[in-house]
Amino acid sequence: MSRAIAAAAVLAFALTACGSGDSGGGGQAAESRTLTYWMYQDRTPQAGEVVEKIRKDFEKANPGVTVKIVKIPKDDFNTKLGSAISSKTGPDVSTLDQPLVSKYAKDGTIVELPAGTVSEGTYFKGAYDTNLGTDGKYYGLPLDQTGVALFYNKKLVPTPPTTWDEMKAASEKVHAADPNVAGMVVPKGDGYGGWMFPGIVAGNGLEMADVASKKILFDQPQAVEALQLWVDLLKSSPRKITDSDQPFQNGLAGMMISGPWDVPTIREQFPELDFSVAPLPYKTEPAGNIGGENAVVYKTSPNQDLAWKWLTFITNETNNGPLADALGGFPVHTKATAVGSGPEHEAFLAQLKVAHARPAVPEWIQINDEIIAPAIESALLGKMTAQEALTDAANKTRSLLGWNS
Amino acid sequence: MSSTPVVAGRRRRRSAPGRRRDHVIAWLLIAPALVYFVVFLLYPALSALYYSFTDWNLRTTASWVGFQNYVDLFTDEVKYPHFWKSVQVTLQYTIIAVPLTLGTALIQALLINAIKRGSNLFRLLLFLPVVTAEAAVGAIWRWLYDPRYGLINSVLEVFGIPGQNWLNTPELVIPALAFISAWQCGIAMIIFLAGLKGIPGSILEAATIDGANAFQRFRKVVMPMLRPTTFYLLVTGVIAALQVFGLVYVIFSGAGRSVTGGPEQSGLAYVLHLYLFAFRYDAMGAACAMSFILLVFIMIITAVQFKFVKQEAA
Repeated sequence: MSRAIAAAAVLAFALTACGSGDSGGGGQAAESRTLTYWMYQDRTPQAGEVVEKIRKDFEKANPGVTVKIVKIPKDDFNTKLGSAISSKTGPDVSTLDQPLVSKYAKDGTIVELPAGTVSEGTYFKGAYDTNLGTDGKYYGLPLDQTGVALFYNKKLVPTPPTTWDEMKAASEKVHAADPNVAGMVVPKGDGYGGWMFPGIVAGNGLEMADVASKKILFDQPQAVEALQLWVDLLKSSPRKITDSDQPFQNGLAGMMISGPWDVPTIREQFPELDFSVAPLPYKTEPAGNIGGENAVVYKTSPNQDLAWKWLTFITNETNNGPLADALGGFPVHTKATAVGSGPEHEAFLAQLKVAHARPAVPEWIQINDEIIAPAIESALLGKMTAQEALTDAANKTRSLLGWNS
Repeated sequence: MSSTPVVAGRRRRRSAPGRRRDHVIAWLLIAPALVYFVVFLLYPALSALYYSFTDWNLRTTASWVGFQNYVDLFTDEVKYPHFWKSVQVTLQYTIIAVPLTLGTALIQALLINAIKRGSNLFRLLLFLPVVTAEAAVGAIWRWLYDPRYGLINSVLEVFGIPGQNWLNTPELVIPALAFISAWQCGIAMIIFLAGLKGIPGSILEAATIDGANAFQRFRKVVMPMLRPTTFYLLVTGVIAALQVFGLVYVIFSGAGRSVTGGPEQSGLAYVLHLYLFAFRYDAMGAACAMSFILLVFIMIITAVQFKFVKQEAA
């Protein structure tokens, strides 16, 4: 039962044992300083080469500086990082999953981005804003970004819809033509669906919350309409069809909402599927959600200035394109060139320019999983209306956060 | 766990230094197990007990909150909206999975015990699900339960029963999971088989001569004589079922799937809920409290079984 906790404790041991030698990192003397950077393990050997090249370039540009990169499997990353921080053997600077930034900021584990480090408009707003703390200050820099867009089967849906109404019409048309085929794979009320939902709400001109004034907004009409859209789409997209294995890939659904990671896997495993990707349909303005990696600098680091220098270097105009590609996402620097080409690539690029960051609330993952996701599901199952479900969820969220207004 | 040193000290006539040497050897022999126990089990468990009384997120210094975590878990539906749901899911799973698993294991053991030739082969085949990697089990069963292509629905349709959307219908999730655990009953099967081998043939023979038919022999001889075996399997089975995690995790997680325990939290097992708080929601202190609530609950359930379930062979 306490196996997980035991594992965490063991990890802490192991890390103290092997991490103690190097963390202090270079005496203050300018001639030799070591910066320790933790990141996820490389996705491919090529990705490793990209990172290595950037590291060497940085060392060349900064004589006397050594960057020590520690790569940790993604599944263990947060636990190892947490244990290392608590035992004061953490790195100077590390990758950090987006929703964790506001948590670490609240702890005082990481430091605020020093004023003047980056100029306004260097990064896309959505990606940059994922580094916000609850206090409205920035605590990190984005490394790459990803998000979801609309995949459509060209045979079933010849022209991709651009508005909600067109999307509903396209879905109904597909299902009417063949009752064994679903209009689209409608997201579910689970953690993943909860992650996509804010992108749809933003397409109707609303954020999930206004953190600065401590207001939960996702029970407003714009959000209710977004959820109603999913409810309506479900009518022409029975789950009996879409719950089967990879329904879109098998040609059993006209559309699905998914991310860039699915493009190469579908090309490889379903070469006969004629599909493409378009930006998400919207109601009032193009919008989408966002995921990806950020990087932060730790309070305990004696090399904070150097750490920020490293982060601005790896995300600059030249390096961010290859780096983002190595990390499996898209560049966050507005002037960087994304690796890749083709209509799918263009669609995701367009999508990410209008991405909206999650509310900078440390408890957001929990709210997403435990409150918003079940609300989406009860509306989809018809147990509550969209309005009832979201009103209930918003009230629960207000109580949890103590934002009663 | 209780590796008490009871090796030395028997032979009274040995001289004192000899006895001391025995003690040293004894301690040396148990040292590896003891070190393992203290470092990897006792110390983490005691730390977890301490942390269960704190507000802690793994990174910062834990702050003492007394019984707050425990009280909140039981009463605060805003902070822990699905705690009781996870308790309910786990109890339902235990109630369905344990009898189903033991029943399947007993039937398999009786069948293997009855055949003359090839019993090794069948034993191996029936044991295979136990040694299959959990991720593979998840993949196989997601496929078997697939609403459109799944083998289970195809078989049901042969009998005119409409196919079900097994893993996506809240009411069917727990039975579907329990069925997988019954499929993995190999260890219980082997233990039952050993129990069956331990029943003297002469008793069965005597029963046959007295005119007992196969069913009567099973009810009046085999079942009573298997009681210690059944009791052991019941106790360990209940403990394992209350801690179910891996199965639920592999079935309901992975790319593009929910981590939150299936449709409407219908598969949100207690330990999965605990895991989410520990590693996803950053509430290690509360997760430690959950683990100790489970520990106490398991101890109570086990004590109740020892008190009320017959365990001696009759």
